Amino acid sequence: MPLEILLVLVVGGIAGITVILHRLGLSRRFQFENEEAARTAWLREIPDRQPTRIILSPDRMTALIMTDQGPGLAWSHGADTVARPVSGCTTCETETGLRVEFNDIGTPRTDITLPGTDRQHWLTQMRPK
Amino acid sequence: MSETLTYPDVVTYAVPFFIAAILIELAWIVIKRRGGRYETRDALTSLIMGAGNVASGILLGFIAWGFFMALWQITPLDLGTSWGIVALCFVLDDLRYYWVHRFGHRIRWVWASHVNHHSSQHYNLTTALRQTWTGTFTFMMIVRAPLVLLGFHPAMVLFCGGLNLIYQFWIHTEAIHRLPRWFEAIMNTPSHHRVHHGRNARYLDCNYAGVFIIWDKLFGTFVPEQASEKVDYGLVHNLGTFNPLRVAFHEWAGILRDMRQPDLTLRQRLLYAVAPPGWSHDQSRQTSDQIKASHLKRHPKDKGTPGFS
Repeated sequence: MPLEILLVLVVGGIAGITVILHRLGLSRRFQFENEEAARTAWLREIPDRQPTRIILSPDRMTALIMTDQGPGLAWSHGADTVARPVSGCTTCETETGLRVEFNDIGTPRTDITLPGTDRQHWLTQMRPK
Repeated sequence: MSETLTYPDVVTYAVPFFIAAILIELAWIVIKRRGGRYETRDALTSLIMGAGNVASGILLGFIAWGFFMALWQITPLDLGTSWGIVALCFVLDDLRYYWVHRFGHRIRWVWASHVNHHSSQHYNLTTALRQTWTGTFTFMMIVRAPLVLLGFHPAMVLFCGGLNLIYQFWIHTEAIHRLPRWFEAIMNTPSHHRVHHGRNARYLDCNYAGVFIIWDKLFGTFVPEQASEKVDYGLVHNLGTFNPLRVAFHEWAGILRDMRQPDLTLRQRLLYAVAPPGWSHDQSRQTSDQIKASHLKRHPKDKGTPGFS
C-alpha cells in the first residue's frame, strides 16, 4: 500500500474514531460514588494496605486514603482509577488545589481540585507521621 | 536459493478492516449496552501506539530484515514456497510467538517493550492496536532465527508473523463471550485472551498463545476464564498517564533508574534488567509469583484452583 494512502487511513481513522467517542459522551471522567468506591479502588491496586480513613475531594475525583503504613491517593484516570502511596512524592499548591508529583515516569503527577480551606488539611494528612 | 520472494504486507492492508471492526464493536456496545467499554483518551492512546508501531516498523524494520537475510545467506536449506510450507511456517512461527510472548512477561528487558500492550484498563479492539515501539531493542528477532536457518524464507516468516498479528486483533473484545467448544480447545479466543490481559493474581502470567491455545496447554501455562472471577484489565500498578511517549518508554526508564541505584552489586544491576518484572534487590516490590503467594495468604481457599496450582 502506498505510504500516502496508509498515512491518510491512519490519521483519518484515529481522528474519526476519537471524534465519534467524544460525541458519544465517552470522555466522561470517573467519580467516586462514595468512600466505599474509593476503598475498592485503593485495594484493587494496593491490597496489602487496608484503609483506616478516607477523605473524598469535593469533586469526588480524588480520595485521600489513610493506612497504618502511611497515606496514599486514589484518583480518577479517564473512566478508571489509579492509586499510589504518597511517600517520597512532592506536593505543591496550585491555583485550583494541590499538585502531587510522583517520582515515576508512568505516573508523573495528579492534580487535586480543592478549595483553599481544605488544602492545608490535605497537605498535613499526606505528610508521613 | 530464492532471494527476491515477496509477500503482501498484510498488516498494512488490514488497516481499513481494523478501523471498520472498531466502529462495529463500538456500535454494538453503544446499542446493546453490553460487551465492553470505550473511553476516548484511552482509545486515542491505543490508536497512537498502533500508528507508532507501524512507523517504528518502517524505520527500524531493516535491522531484523538484515539479520534474517544474513542468516538466509548462510543456511544451506531452502524449503521452497509451497502452500504446505507456508502453513507449516505459520504453525512454527506461532510456536515462536508463544515463547517470545512468554519471555515478554518473564524477562523485564522484554517486558519493557511489551508492557504498553497491557497498559490499558480497557479491553476492546483498540487495545489490540496498543503495540510496542521498541520491539527491535529486545533482540527477540533471535527467536525467529531457527525458522530461517531451517529453510523458511525470511519474507515468508514475516508474512506469517503478520497473519498472526491480524488473527490476534479480533480476540481483543468482550463482545464475544465463548465460541464452540472445539474452537476454544484449539484456538486462542477472546475468552482465553481476556484472561491473559487480567491483572487479577489468578490471571497473571498465563495464556501466552498467539493463534493456537494448544501451546499453553502443552507448556502448562493455560488458565481458563472463570465465571466466578471477572477479569480486571490493566497492569498490577496501573499507569497514571495517557501520554503515548510515557506509555512507550516508562519501563525502559524504570530499568535505567533501578540499575543506576547506588551500592548495588553488578549482579543486582543486571537482574534489574533480566529478572522477572517486579524483582527488586531489597524485596520492596513483588514479582507475579510473589503476588500470587500474597493473594493465597489472604485467600487460602483459592489454593489449587486455576491460576494458583
